[in-house]
Amino acid sequence: MRLKFDEQLDLLNKELITMGAFCENAIAMSAKALTEGNPALAKAVPDLSVEISHKEREIETMCLKLLLQRQPVARDLRVVSSALKMVTDMARIGDQSADIAEIITLANIRATDDTQIIYDMSVAVIKMVTDSIDAFVKKDMQMAKAVIDYDDVVDSFFDKVKKMLTRLFSKPETDGEYAIDLLMIAKYFERIGDHAVNIAKWVLFSLTGNKGG
Amino acid sequence: MTSMTKRIFHSICLVALTVFLASLVLIMGVLYEYFSNVEQAQLKMQTILAAQGVTNEGIEYFHDLNVKNYRISWIDAEGNVIFDSASDTAEMENHLEREEVREALSSGYGESRRYSATLMERFFYTAQRLDDGTILRLSISQNSILTLLLGMAQPICIVFAIALVLSVVLAVQISKKIVKPLNGIDLDHPLSNEGYDELSPFLRRIDSQQKQLWGQKAELLQKENELNTIIGSMNEGMILLNQKGKIISINPAAAKLLDAGTDCIGSDMLSLCRNLKLQEILAKALHGEQGENIIRLHEESYQINADPIISENVVKGAALFFFNVTEKEKAEQIRREFTANVSHELKTPLHSISGYAELLKNDMVRDDDKIPFAGKIYDEAGRMIRLVEDIISLSHLDEGADDMQRENIDLYTLADKAVQSLEPYANAVCVTLELSGVPSVLNGIPQLLYSVVYNLCDNAIKYNHENGKVIVNIQNENNAVALSVQDTGIGIAPGHQERIFERFYRVDKSHSKAVGGTGLGLSIVKHAAKIHNAKVEVKSLVGKGTTVIVTFPK
Repeated sequence: MRLKFDEQLDLLNKELITMGAFCENAIAMSAKALTEGNPALAKAVPDLSVEISHKEREIETMCLKLLLQRQPVARDLRVVSSALKMVTDMARIGDQSADIAEIITLANIRATDDTQIIYDMSVAVIKMVTDSIDAFVKKDMQMAKAVIDYDDVVDSFFDKVKKMLTRLFSKPETDGEYAIDLLMIAKYFERIGDHAVNIAKWVLFSLTGNKGG
Repeated sequence: MTSMTKRIFHSICLVALTVFLASLVLIMGVLYEYFSNVEQAQLKMQTILAAQGVTNEGIEYFHDLNVKNYRISWIDAEGNVIFDSASDTAEMENHLEREEVREALSSGYGESRRYSATLMERFFYTAQRLDDGTILRLSISQNSILTLLLGMAQPICIVFAIALVLSVVLAVQISKKIVKPLNGIDLDHPLSNEGYDELSPFLRRIDSQQKQLWGQKAELLQKENELNTIIGSMNEGMILLNQKGKIISINPAAAKLLDAGTDCIGSDMLSLCRNLKLQEILAKALHGEQGENIIRLHEESYQINADPIISENVVKGAALFFFNVTEKEKAEQIRREFTANVSHELKTPLHSISGYAELLKNDMVRDDDKIPFAGKIYDEAGRMIRLVEDIISLSHLDEGADDMQRENIDLYTLADKAVQSLEPYANAVCVTLELSGVPSVLNGIPQLLYSVVYNLCDNAIKYNHENGKVIVNIQNENNAVALSVQDTGIGIAPGHQERIFERFYRVDKSHSKAVGGTGLGLSIVKHAAKIHNAKVEVKSLVGKGTTVIVTFPK
């Protein structure tokens, strides 16, 4: 009985990691399309986002089944319930990556000095997403806490982007739509960072029963 | 399993008791017979005494008689009982047919042993014929003998108890003593035991099997060590997974590559690497299909092969191999560039040749121009020949130049020759060429050493300023000969310094045609140096000049 349950938990773990890998890929593809100024690279992201949504439903169903059939308690309950919450954040990361990709494919984003800071920001965000999933995989509390702290770096990047865009707007030759697109992209990255923080918090919860911070 | 000690103990006890009981029975039998005979002899005596008494006193004898142990009967010649000490005479039947009576009648004395029908007991009988023809009979119950024996019961019981205790004690001692050598057998060294001869076949067998086992164990251990060493020292990463994708074994290279600790064994492959390409080929391998892909890890390219492990038509797991193909990809890139460059370099002079030749063929050239045109064709063809020669010598160097003769030669003489042949060219472009240093003999291939000096000087002159200087210096050091070619030319930017030895690499791509050359010179230098195990060093400052130092070990 317990063996079967362990197997199911193991499968849940595996599915979560796979979903995390999808998210990493989606955001990395969007960031690459942005920095290389190659909208063709972003074309595959919406498909990946759909796949991530499917995975979300799948994992939700799995979690609910586990809750109903096995009625887990203590740590098992924390694992299942945090998984249920984590997939929501992961799905949002997928959605927002797809949103970034959409902006890139529609607008004429060029790789310029302006995008450099957004590129730096995307590197920071990708690191956060990767680390939050790593923290989940390795059940590493320190790493999860580091991810939560790292959000400040991403936030400061967002502030820098805002300042940069304000300067851009003050110039008469600036293409307004382009600047707004950059702002949206930066905002999406910032949101993805927040979702990574949420994932890290759920990792902490599943390990300690305390969401920390 | 029964204990051997117990078994021996039981056996000894049983034997002791059996022997004891058997001897008791035998002794009893013998005693019984003896007592019977004694009793009978006594009875006979009594009968004789009684017969005298009856003869003397007649019936009166019986009146005084006080019989306790035995029974006395007086029978007349007709067999009627006249007197009996135990029963009423009137009820008694005729005794004439009794064995002892008949015997006494015929021979004067008789005896017998039998059941008395009257008293329902076994009796001894003795009969004596008196002088008047009557018979006196005495009988005694055999019970009295049994009673006698029963009287012995108490001492017998005591003896039995003593025997029992004695046999138990002895049995315990003996069984321990018998088993002791067995318990003390040293099974690690079976042949060193001094025990029972009967055990030696077992011990020999155990010994041979032990040796066999040790041999097999050592062999297994050695094989395992060999395998571990091979897998452990492999540069390629290797991971074995079971059919569920859990890690069974991981070698140090793979662990380092994937940043995995020793605790990763038994965990899922996903927890080590989330790369989707890898997961895809792994999933394929676990379904029995071989797969490969190239992924980026730590800024390097790795080719990953995933092979299913199939036994008895069932996928038992998968093996993942990680090959670092960064160098290979780089080499591939260089090869592709080389091919493109060769075709380009060959095409350019061919186009010129073909163009001039076409003009000449169609007679569209003025007679004055015919000579310069032919000259151009000649120059371009010469350029092509040099190019092809360089390519041939390079490909020759690629194969290691095994067929070239090594000999002891003086590098200074060689350099002098090269400098002299380049002198006219240097004069033409207004560059001074100087040679300094000492004669230094080293073992090498003359043609190659010459081309090293020649190409370096050629470059030094080619990429120089007007009125520049080229200094060739040869130093003989303790265990090396250093050739340095210093110029005051245009210099090489740091970013290019690494690549100038690549084939056809030009720092300034747009002017290659103007300065001439094949673009293969430094490549030839690099290869020739490599064949001589020499070290090539480039020191350069843009605008100031370049120094190339080639150090040949002696």
